Amino acid sequence: MGRIRKVVVIFLALVTVSGALASCGRTSTVAGVLRVGNDAGFGGAETMDPYDGNRTWPTINMVFDRLIGVDKDFSPIPELALSWSSNDDLTEWTLELREGVKFHDGSEFDADDVVYSINRMIDPEFDSPILAVLGVISSVTAVSKYEVSLSLSTGEADFPLLLADYRALMTPVDSQSTIGKNPIGTGPFKMETFDPAGTTVLLANEDYFFGQPKLSKIEIITFADSQSAAQALAGDQVDLLLAIDGKSSAMFGDEAKFTLQNIPSGDWNAIDFRVDQEPFSDARVRKALRIAADRQVIADTVLGVGGGVVACDTPVWSADPYRWDGDCAKDTEGAKALLAEAGYPNGIDIDIYTSDVEVHMVELVTAYKDQVKDAGIRVTIKMADASGFWDDVWMKESAFVDSWGQRPATQVLNEVYRSTASWNPTGQVDKDLDKMLDEARSTKDQAERAKKYAQIQERLFENSAIFLPYHKTLTRAMSSKVKGVEPIVIDAVRWEKISVS
Amino acid sequence: MRRVVFSLATFIALAVVSFVGVDALPGDGCTALLGRFGTNAKIDACRQENNLNDSVVVRIKDWSGDLVRGDLGYSIKRDEQVSKIIIPRLRNTAVMAAVAALIAFPSAIVVGLLLGRYPRKRISKAINQFSVIAMTLPEFVIATVLWLVLSIWIPIFPGVSVMPSNASLLQLLPNVWLPALTLAVVIFAHSMRTMRASVTNVQNMPFVESARLRGTNERKMISRHIVPAALPPVVNVVALDGAWLLTGTFVTEAAFNFQGLGRLAIDAISDRDTALILPIILFGLAVYLVSSILADSLVRVFDPRLRSSNR
Repeated sequence: MGRIRKVVVIFLALVTVSGALASCGRTSTVAGVLRVGNDAGFGGAETMDPYDGNRTWPTINMVFDRLIGVDKDFSPIPELALSWSSNDDLTEWTLELREGVKFHDGSEFDADDVVYSINRMIDPEFDSPILAVLGVISSVTAVSKYEVSLSLSTGEADFPLLLADYRALMTPVDSQSTIGKNPIGTGPFKMETFDPAGTTVLLANEDYFFGQPKLSKIEIITFADSQSAAQALAGDQVDLLLAIDGKSSAMFGDEAKFTLQNIPSGDWNAIDFRVDQEPFSDARVRKALRIAADRQVIADTVLGVGGGVVACDTPVWSADPYRWDGDCAKDTEGAKALLAEAGYPNGIDIDIYTSDVEVHMVELVTAYKDQVKDAGIRVTIKMADASGFWDDVWMKESAFVDSWGQRPATQVLNEVYRSTASWNPTGQVDKDLDKMLDEARSTKDQAERAKKYAQIQERLFENSAIFLPYHKTLTRAMSSKVKGVEPIVIDAVRWEKISVS
Repeated sequence: MRRVVFSLATFIALAVVSFVGVDALPGDGCTALLGRFGTNAKIDACRQENNLNDSVVVRIKDWSGDLVRGDLGYSIKRDEQVSKIIIPRLRNTAVMAAVAALIAFPSAIVVGLLLGRYPRKRISKAINQFSVIAMTLPEFVIATVLWLVLSIWIPIFPGVSVMPSNASLLQLLPNVWLPALTLAVVIFAHSMRTMRASVTNVQNMPFVESARLRGTNERKMISRHIVPAALPPVVNVVALDGAWLLTGTFVTEAAFNFQGLGRLAIDAISDRDTALILPIILFGLAVYLVSSILADSLVRVFDPRLRSSNR
């Protein structure tokens, strides 16, 4: 009996000691330190090389800078480049660089670094994801220490916006082999510890050219799922979550403690129909499938009320200056008529593949199925395994769900909709559209160009094989102690202006 | 001895089945690394480099050879030796399991004994009801309730763990409590009810009656007669629950962002990181085989009848 008592005493002592430890382990807000919750993303394969497919975001944007940034209204603004100009064909661009900018290791940033960085981005051998954005660049040369010139394979009026891609970051010469784990940038924060599966620590770059950051430190803490990240914010273990599930927002209703920001974004979901497969080869069927649904109801069902902005099959998002807003109200009779004309007077049966590979993808098809049944479109939902979805289903089955991130108009249209695009998911070939795209991008006058992009989007609504009902509105959540995070897309947020009191 | 040999054979057979099974799933380490926009040329080059184009038989041979030499393999996606990824996670899960076991098992045995001995007390009935609820609630509900009560309303423990997988033991301990408590609630209910049933059963046996007629006092009655006779079925349940603590913690670890083996397994499966999935499966197999052998030997210690029949 004596021994048992001893064990119990030791056990109780252990409980008390680690209980005390636990109380110490509770972290809370420290002035000047921002703790950002981040999702796992690439499950341990993350790298700080901004041109690599497994780049870890938004950390790269704290360490590196672009040549050109974006303003709140999504217009290009100077970052490492102070000014830019082009020839009349929009094929030759000259950039004047900011002078006296230092990398974190003290070396000076100049035209050689720009040439090196851009050559890595467009290296076909390396095949960076950003090649899809900047593939129009055919060569880059240093004119002088602070001037570079770029030749494009085609005129591109919105080239500055393409350079404002969040991955088009400037890295020092010959950094390829070391940058993944030991990144040296010019950005507002320097890497202290890189641990993508745990906590990454960044320290302020006091010599930052836009001014010393208000924070002394940023910690980026990785979470396996959004629920535990939301719990961490509620429990004061992190200060900022860049995107929370709309359904979690109720947890942060206390305005004294939390700030919520609803930010329309360019992220979209879609249902894609392969035009090389029956019955979607018929443009009338495709249009019927696209006009038979109430997009607002779908957006409200899938994303929650206020969770999305309706799109009439245009991938150009609501804040983009080229956005076209048409009338795409639900038209059951019109859809029925089109189907009858195409040889389906008694309605049509189709299979749509989906998967929980990403949030919202299953809900989208379920809501769509419910919407289109009035028009005699009978949808069978096919569930595919999440892990094989992108390899075996996407771009392969006859109809499937899709998901894309935000891109400027010229980029998304050329990357997803152009007939020859490698990720054109529907296989649709529309030579007229390609010609319209060429014309739009090579029109120098902004108003004229906007008109052409509007016509392109109108054409998509007539002819496209992609049902694109909404762009998502992201909900950003933070502790009310965090100041200086403007309610705009993350690409335009200035990290050096954020503070924690 | 025969038992051990049989277990080893089972282990090897299941290891091969697991390898073939995981291999048959769509996707591999290379598609996992390169993701949605990986081109065919890139994926092929990656497969070539990592010998993924060899036949299954060749790869099983290579893999098992490495395994025997103590090399768990290499994760293409995570660009790291599998042992380096798994060992810190295993330690974290083991610490969490140990804390859960220390909380749950001793209290379950004591409470089960008291409930079996004094079933008519109102408190006994209340605890019994609670255990039924605890057993039927899914872990994520228990996890959420514990988080709400012990981290938000009464802020004692950190709500979710925000530590790297290789954090020091001192950093780890505070983060262990909520997940360990969640697991403890589940296994407490389970093993306590087994103990209670076993005690109820033993109490009605003739040797207890005869001990009572000999005038044995209550304390001796419990420690000499009831507990030793009631324990064997409980030992089996404890062994199973113990094995579950090391291998069945997926939900709890995910709920608290705990950097353990369960969360790693979820990540590895969703990433199709085959090199990482297999050792985790094998570890689970080994835990169950060892714990069932251990339980059987322990039962023999408690039950003299089994010892004699073995001779």
